[in-house]
Amino acid sequence: MGRTVPTYRQALEERLKRWDEFARLLTTPEERAAFETLRLGARRYVAQATYVGSPDLLESILLSVLLDLARRLPADETARPAHR
Amino acid sequence: MAGTPPPDAWLLDITESPDGRSVVLWTKERTTARVHRTAVEYRPPFFVVGARSDLDDLRPRLEGRATVERVRRVVLRPSIFDHRPRSVLEVIPTRNAARRSLARSVDELGGFVRYTLFDVDLSPPQLYHLAHDLYPFAPVVGHGAAIRATEPAETVHYTPPPLVVARLAVTLDGPHHGRLPPAEGRIASIRLGDATLEGPEEDLLRALVGELARTDPDVLLTDGGDALDLPWLYRRAAALGLGPQEFALGREPVGFRPARAARSFETYGRILYRSATYPLPGRFHLDRENSFLFDDADLAGLVDAARLSRLSLSTVARQSPGTCFTAMEMAEALRRGLHVPWKKNRPESFRRADRLVAADRGGVIFVPPVGVFGPVDEFDFASLFPHIMVRKNLSAETLECRCCPASPIRAPGLGYRSCTRSVGLIPRTLEPLLTRRIAYKAAAKDLSLPAEERARLTGRVKMLKWILVTAFGYQGYRNARFGRIECHEAINAYARELLADLIPAAERVGYRVVHGIVDSLWLAPTDPAHPPDPNAFARSVSARTDLPLGYEGRYRWIVFLPAVTHGLGVPNRYYGVYESGEFKLRGIGGRRHDTTGLVRRFETEMLDLFRAAPGPDEFRARLPRALRRADGFASQVRAGAWPVEELVISHRIGQASDAFVTFTDSVAALRQLEQAGASRQPGEVVRYVVLDRTSRSFRERVRPEELLTGGERYDPDAYLEILARAAETLLGPFGVARDGLLERWGYGGRVDRDPYRSPESTAQSVLDGVALDGAG
Repeated sequence: MGRTVPTYRQALEERLKRWDEFARLLTTPEERAAFETLRLGARRYVAQATYVGSPDLLESILLSVLLDLARRLPADETARPAHR
Repeated sequence: MAGTPPPDAWLLDITESPDGRSVVLWTKERTTARVHRTAVEYRPPFFVVGARSDLDDLRPRLEGRATVERVRRVVLRPSIFDHRPRSVLEVIPTRNAARRSLARSVDELGGFVRYTLFDVDLSPPQLYHLAHDLYPFAPVVGHGAAIRATEPAETVHYTPPPLVVARLAVTLDGPHHGRLPPAEGRIASIRLGDATLEGPEEDLLRALVGELARTDPDVLLTDGGDALDLPWLYRRAAALGLGPQEFALGREPVGFRPARAARSFETYGRILYRSATYPLPGRFHLDRENSFLFDDADLAGLVDAARLSRLSLSTVARQSPGTCFTAMEMAEALRRGLHVPWKKNRPESFRRADRLVAADRGGVIFVPPVGVFGPVDEFDFASLFPHIMVRKNLSAETLECRCCPASPIRAPGLGYRSCTRSVGLIPRTLEPLLTRRIAYKAAAKDLSLPAEERARLTGRVKMLKWILVTAFGYQGYRNARFGRIECHEAINAYARELLADLIPAAERVGYRVVHGIVDSLWLAPTDPAHPPDPNAFARSVSARTDLPLGYEGRYRWIVFLPAVTHGLGVPNRYYGVYESGEFKLRGIGGRRHDTTGLVRRFETEMLDLFRAAPGPDEFRARLPRALRRADGFASQVRAGAWPVEELVISHRIGQASDAFVTFTDSVAALRQLEQAGASRQPGEVVRYVVLDRTSRSFRERVRPEELLTGGERYDPDAYLEILARAAETLLGPFGVARDGLLERWGYGGRVDRDPYRSPESTAQSVLDGVALDGAG
């Protein structure tokens, strides 16, 4: 269709394929499940990452993954103010 | 036939005359309903733009040619990017049919760079309409060629001409399965309108011509006429020695050859097939199977599109909405005294890579949470992109214009400016379409109007919707005449900004966002006992943004479905039921054309079972019952008791049958069809029932629908799999998985396990884990 730049979704999937290579040498089911969590976290926030349109793909992926992990923390951990 | 049209008539159509020098005006007298034919000499010019010396160079080289009638210099403003008139070369070919080939050789003489050509690929009828302020189905007064329309094409409420519509269907002789014509088949009977004609073949064909003359229909309506009825009529007429003079299906004799050959083509990743088309001058042939728009928009919608685009009804019926929109843009350009470039010659401007990444993005599409939710309110912006184009004056020539360096209208994040001085071609073309759509939509709801009138209005609304949808896509399409990629980007930027603004706005009134796709939002009340007023929310957003947000309705419950691959939600796969009891289904089997009757019936029963559930809790409570129903389906399928008509699988062929390298079900079906004398082209659909999917014999593996006798024994395992997949599609979020179902149903084949079950779907199964236990 003559698209100039791959969409964030396409770029993400491309990168996740590379991550698969990493995962092949994981040895425990727990590690593999945890790795799967990271992949899902990256995919969960495609809308937000697309909206930012950052030229830095990894920034968007890491931000998505971190947010996904942060939202899994217990509520009192996230609610605590940043500065005391 | 030739004569002068009386005053007070409808202009039905303008066609090209075979003499190559004139067009034919077809008018229908208002009082007598008689149709008149008037031939008018008309050879429209095309224009060549270039440097003065290049034009001086070109002129003598054209003047001597046999295909050139006249070349002269004229002064006009060729394109939307020209701010003042300039001297150009006007070329008139000796025959209209030579326009394109002459234009091509001019282009070649200029090495494809020195000359820009205008008005080349508009047809002479289109140009005649525009040069004379006429349009298809215009009410006209006047005589002969001197007719004029009594109202403009854009008139919103008009009376369409009373068209005489007759159904045409040809039945072939002898035994035949489905619509597979035997090579030497004869025509046994022909139905035209209310009449059924039978008898010896030659008498039959002559009787058809007689019946056409007697009833004089304006429109012939067929199901598959381009592929079957018309070619067959002509083939048999030729075999019996009838000529065009004795056997004319139009209102004037014409050769039996198709005007446009059949072709397979690729669009948006799909291979499609379009049959040949046969011209019937003076009459329209609408083939429901060869028309993308006819099914959805109905005759009233096509008539409306013909009026606005100046394309013949036959063309509109067979073309895409994008072609209609382009024709409307061309019409708007010519009305403003501009001309239409032949090839788009506007390269994208160079940009830094990071800017490109920032600009080249689509709309906001969330990943929805998987599972059942409710109550949920749905809101949609009506024709969001066209409205943005109009409100923000987005058009190739108004974006980053030279006249408004300080324009306050800037695309968010990208900064592209819009002109504040003149309204662009795209907004000018779109605005009347938006006005019409709103007017027709409102009128279609007016219950005081006769049902027939409301159906007509609904047809027009649907047609306009399709055209408006394409208007956006064409901004970024490389072949779009007036498109410009930056417009496409700007529209998306405005749309993204809008959706981002709506999140806090929704939260302020007491909603939380469940899901959003580009121009649609699904919002759940934070406190379901006291939901916000959805209409008030829609009104306040519309007023604040100057874009029409509509409240679609409240869902009792809505289920967002996961992807098979990773288990996260898929933006466009969901099903839910509004408080009215009406369903909305996206991306599940029943919405797809290739679904078997079995799956359709299964989904209908499942949905009926869940319909009355007032909310998510009651939905979950019905899961055990749903599983028992699925078991019931499975035991019938396994017993071999399901009627084979409901097991027909449709498959669109992507390549020629000899190009397949693996032996698939469709290859087996194609081989059998070929042997029966019916080859299929890429883009056509093959339908078959699976008899034994493990068989290596193409006869034993499947049976094409056309060759079904009714007594076939189908492959139960193949259909258990299909059933299990359908059940997983609907109930996957609640822990129902394909392999589990197959084991439960005593499936004989090998169960392909999914590579993994994602934590997301596993978590959901735990939450809703009652399902499988309850049904055991």
